[in-house]
Amino acid sequence: MSSLNASLAVALSGLAAEQGALAATTNNVANVNTPGYSRQVPVLVANDPIVEDPLTFGTGVTLQSIQSVRDPILESQIQQETQTQGQLGALVSALSETQTNFSSTTGDIGTEISNFFAAVSQLSTSPADLSLRQNVLTAAGNVASAFNTAANNLTAQQGSLNQGVEQTVGQINQLTAQIAQLNGQISNLQNAGESAGTFVDQRTQLIDQLSALVDVSVIPSNNTLALTTDNGTALVDGQQSFQLFTQANASGVQEIYSQGSDITSSIVSGQLGGMLVARDQQIPAIQTQLDTLAAGFANAVNTVQTNGYDLTGTVDQNGNPVKSTNDLFTPPPAGITGAAASLSVAMTDPSLLAASSDGTAGSNGNAEALYALQNQAVVAGQSPGDYYSGIVFNVGNAAANATASQSASSLVLQQLNDQRSSVSGVSLDEEAANMMQYQQAYAASAQVITAINDMMYAAINMTTLTG
Amino acid sequence: MRINPNPLPDLLSALEQTQQQVNTDQEQIASGQTVSVPSDDPAAAAMLVQNADQTAEADQYSRSIESIQGEMQNADSTMSSVVTILQRAISVGTEGANGTNNASDRQAIVSELQGIQSQLVSLANLCYQGSYVFAGTATQAAPYVLNADGSVSYVGNDHTNQIAVGDNLNVQANLPGSQLFSSSGNDVFQAIQDLITSLQTDTNISGAVTEVSSAYNYFDQQSVFYGNALNQVNTQATYLNSETAQLAQQQSNLAATNLPQAITNLESSETADQATLEVISQSQQNNLFSYLSR
Repeated sequence: MSSLNASLAVALSGLAAEQGALAATTNNVANVNTPGYSRQVPVLVANDPIVEDPLTFGTGVTLQSIQSVRDPILESQIQQETQTQGQLGALVSALSETQTNFSSTTGDIGTEISNFFAAVSQLSTSPADLSLRQNVLTAAGNVASAFNTAANNLTAQQGSLNQGVEQTVGQINQLTAQIAQLNGQISNLQNAGESAGTFVDQRTQLIDQLSALVDVSVIPSNNTLALTTDNGTALVDGQQSFQLFTQANASGVQEIYSQGSDITSSIVSGQLGGMLVARDQQIPAIQTQLDTLAAGFANAVNTVQTNGYDLTGTVDQNGNPVKSTNDLFTPPPAGITGAAASLSVAMTDPSLLAASSDGTAGSNGNAEALYALQNQAVVAGQSPGDYYSGIVFNVGNAAANATASQSASSLVLQQLNDQRSSVSGVSLDEEAANMMQYQQAYAASAQVITAINDMMYAAINMTTLTG
Repeated sequence: MRINPNPLPDLLSALEQTQQQVNTDQEQIASGQTVSVPSDDPAAAAMLVQNADQTAEADQYSRSIESIQGEMQNADSTMSSVVTILQRAISVGTEGANGTNNASDRQAIVSELQGIQSQLVSLANLCYQGSYVFAGTATQAAPYVLNADGSVSYVGNDHTNQIAVGDNLNVQANLPGSQLFSSSGNDVFQAIQDLITSLQTDTNISGAVTEVSSAYNYFDQQSVFYGNALNQVNTQATYLNSETAQLAQQQSNLAATNLPQAITNLESSETADQATLEVISQSQQNNLFSYLSR
């Protein structure tokens, strides 16, 4: 047999539950613009009924928990795409800087090589003319400094990427430490059976940030989670975070270490991955191409130069003219590495330029041979100009591809974020509707209490009347 | 189906894109170039490098032609002078062969021929901008030396210079004196020297005149070299002008902004930008809370 007091308790449970539910809505509205916040929904459960044979009475409602609404699969997709996005972002910004070396049409390597051959061709029309000879030496100097400038710019860019790697590693360490700390708080709350929604949101937000920097795999375990890089280097395990370290190798390149082992080559995505690709692959590839061009060009010019006769009229003991022994360019290093950075003109005296093919001052045969190099396959099977245009294509193509992939990845990420927002985002319309709903239910429960109160009063008065 | 309650980030990213497009269009109009960095169009950027290379080559070929034209024109007009002088030598020689001449008449003719000889030497030693044109490649010294005995010796060589005036097109820039004035068997100096000797000794004068004629004929044939070479380089200069124009056209096709097209693009991207701004300003002005009143 149910009592009025029992009904009062049921009505009170309604008041409490609706109040709690309203608190969830209030919190949702308050966090409508909080990044990474997942909307919370109250979980209302009917209390166990009391059976008084043959009747069964309900005993009201309990607000069991307030749950954050999130889709873990979507979140892991977002983290994946954020890694790609971070990698491409770093790559695009590095390559955009790189390609400025190949954008100009004045003072760039291609123009200076072309100017050099023009000066040689002009010399061939008047091979003994000292001012034309000087022009050839000046043009050769300009070729050398165009190579030097481009090579030095690339090296400087590697240097700033090196710094970027160090800074990024610092940020990664900070984030992993914070995540480990949150892991502790979350498992404490969850072990105590409490909702850790807000902390989980914060942790998700930090993992997103971490994903922008480096490749991250999330391994959830009981009440906590572990983070590793894609190839398994531990970053966070429960409340323990594992710091990464940078250390310069013999050539000054910052390598990344985790617990004593070099993991540089295993990092493939995130901003760090992008910087490493630019620093260790893309830029060195361009440097090698520049070195190949510089060495091929300088060697070919020197070979022709030492096959001709200069203006000095040097003769052997029989009175026959002697071929030049002076190089125009300082010979490039044997392994070609560094050829572009070190290219320089070895000749200062214009009369030493070998324009003659027969020893007379008026012969231009060797100047013509030098000029002919312009269209000869002297650099890796290509003419110097064609090889240079190939470099421009490669650099431009790498930058264009990275930019295109970045925009594609942005679209994917945007779509994933939309999806996350459609699952977890706070809708003010929805909250307004919920608020009305809770408000009305609260009012109804209150009304029930008033009614019970009236009934109690009636019961008490009834006793008085009969007494 | 729950929809994304906050479309603002999407709208902002759309706005970013439309503004980016407006910037790109404006930049292309302002700079007149569609390819300002290689990644704008890598293939076009590479072709522009080659185009610049070819343009520079064509310009240089034109400059080389200008440089050698002066020398060739000088040489060519020297050829005409030499022809005139040799004709005069033949004519006075023929006069000298006339049996009615006495010794003093012949002596007068000899004097004139000696004058002709030294004129010829001077013409054959044509020096253009410090180099001797008919010396082969030994251009630093006068190739013909008039000896005390009246004979003339050649100290030049028989080498020639080739000048590139086009891709795979070279012209021979000089004809050595040894193939022009003093070719063995048709040596004009020797022929005139022989004529002088014949007149002085009054022996076989008409034979000596024939020798001069044959040397003259040979010279006349050889002397067309400069005229031909000039024609060749002039034709090439015309070709180079049209090639340069064509390269400029190609360059413009590759990278120049098509203005009407670009302006249309700009207008449409500005419209898109405006529309996006409009959408953002209109969106999310209301939600259910606005309608709840107590």
